[in-house]
Amino acid sequence: MEHSDEEKNSELCKLLLEVGSLLMGSGANSARIRITIQRIANAYGYDAELLITHRALMLSVYNDEKDFFVSRLKRTLPHGANFKMVSGISRMSWQIVDEKWNLAQVRQEIVRLKTVAHYPRLVTLSMVALAGASFCRLFGGGYMEVMVAFVATFIGLFVRQEAAKKAFNPYLCIYFAALTSSLIAGLPVKLNLGAHPDYAFATSVLYLIPGIPLINSMSDLLDGNIMNGMVRGINGLIIAFAIAMGLLSAILTYNI
Amino acid sequence: MELLVFFEKWIWLGFAAIGFAILFNVPLRTLWVIFLMGALGGALKLFIMKLGGGIIIGSFFGAVLVGILSIGAGHYKHSPPFVFAIPSVIPMVPGAFAYRMMLGLVRLTNNTDQTTFSQLLNDTVDNGLKAFFVLLVLALGVSTPMLITRQQSAKNIKVPLKKDR
Repeated sequence: MEHSDEEKNSELCKLLLEVGSLLMGSGANSARIRITIQRIANAYGYDAELLITHRALMLSVYNDEKDFFVSRLKRTLPHGANFKMVSGISRMSWQIVDEKWNLAQVRQEIVRLKTVAHYPRLVTLSMVALAGASFCRLFGGGYMEVMVAFVATFIGLFVRQEAAKKAFNPYLCIYFAALTSSLIAGLPVKLNLGAHPDYAFATSVLYLIPGIPLINSMSDLLDGNIMNGMVRGINGLIIAFAIAMGLLSAILTYNI
Repeated sequence: MELLVFFEKWIWLGFAAIGFAILFNVPLRTLWVIFLMGALGGALKLFIMKLGGGIIIGSFFGAVLVGILSIGAGHYKHSPPFVFAIPSVIPMVPGAFAYRMMLGLVRLTNNTDQTTFSQLLNDTVDNGLKAFFVLLVLALGVSTPMLITRQQSAKNIKVPLKKDR
């Protein structure tokens, strides 16, 4: 009896850390990670305290009545946006509270969430390219510029995905993508095609903007998680720097 | 004619939000809500900017609208509100200002001519400050409903259109 209890507790800690690390890797802000972990721990009759950093999570689970205390540490997953995961975990945490799931069910659901498919690659590429074209149109570009922005975004995102597959440094992936996009969008500027080729040039790299790091940074800062907010903000600034470097390389190449 | 131009922008704003939503891999059931929210928030921002509010105030009200709508959408579609809110405000994120600031900083390092230098410094500081403040008001606007209702989880906020789980 004693033994199985211990196993259960250790499984609970593992699951909580797994949930936290998945949330951190999928683009949730720190307050959400803390609330979700505490909600799940409370559902099983424990309290949880969490130290959240960008690359690792430290968790203490305790129960004063049972005189139980355990601490664990886990590295977070590489960062990338996956809101299906965030949404799925949020639903799961409420199902744990409302429907009294046991730990095996939770483990099963986490395994299932990990295998949920991303959108097909072609869909992602064309929709993001369409977003790039939309930005160009909103800036006031004509049909020519919109087409250029579409193509530049499409190929740039493709390059970024390929570079990420080859496991380049993430900032380098963004540099490659920004360079490709701005080289494509810079060609009409160099050749002076169309009415405002510079609109396409300015909007061709907008799909790379570090929106999630920057917004999460601000919401962490507002929430009092100053350290996390600063780390996320600096991450966002380095991404912006990588984009600017890509643009600058293209500008120097074409001398425009 | 004015209305037609406005409507066209509305559609482009929606597509911009959808593109980022797919990049962030949101659940399929939330996509059309994000389209509407991105379009409405962006349209409000453009409208306020047209009234002379400037980009910072415009972005703030756009983000507040997105934040309020995201609470309702979260209840309606059973997802955390920020899944809706982030893709919807991304088109308003001052990415162009942020990298223009970076580009300016890089250029400042190899420029010694006095007049060009001060002109460049002006532009860089202008772009940097705009990027920072727009970002600040976006995060503030999106979290306005939570800050006002003083709840930790959007699930505790009463929403009229809520359906039973």
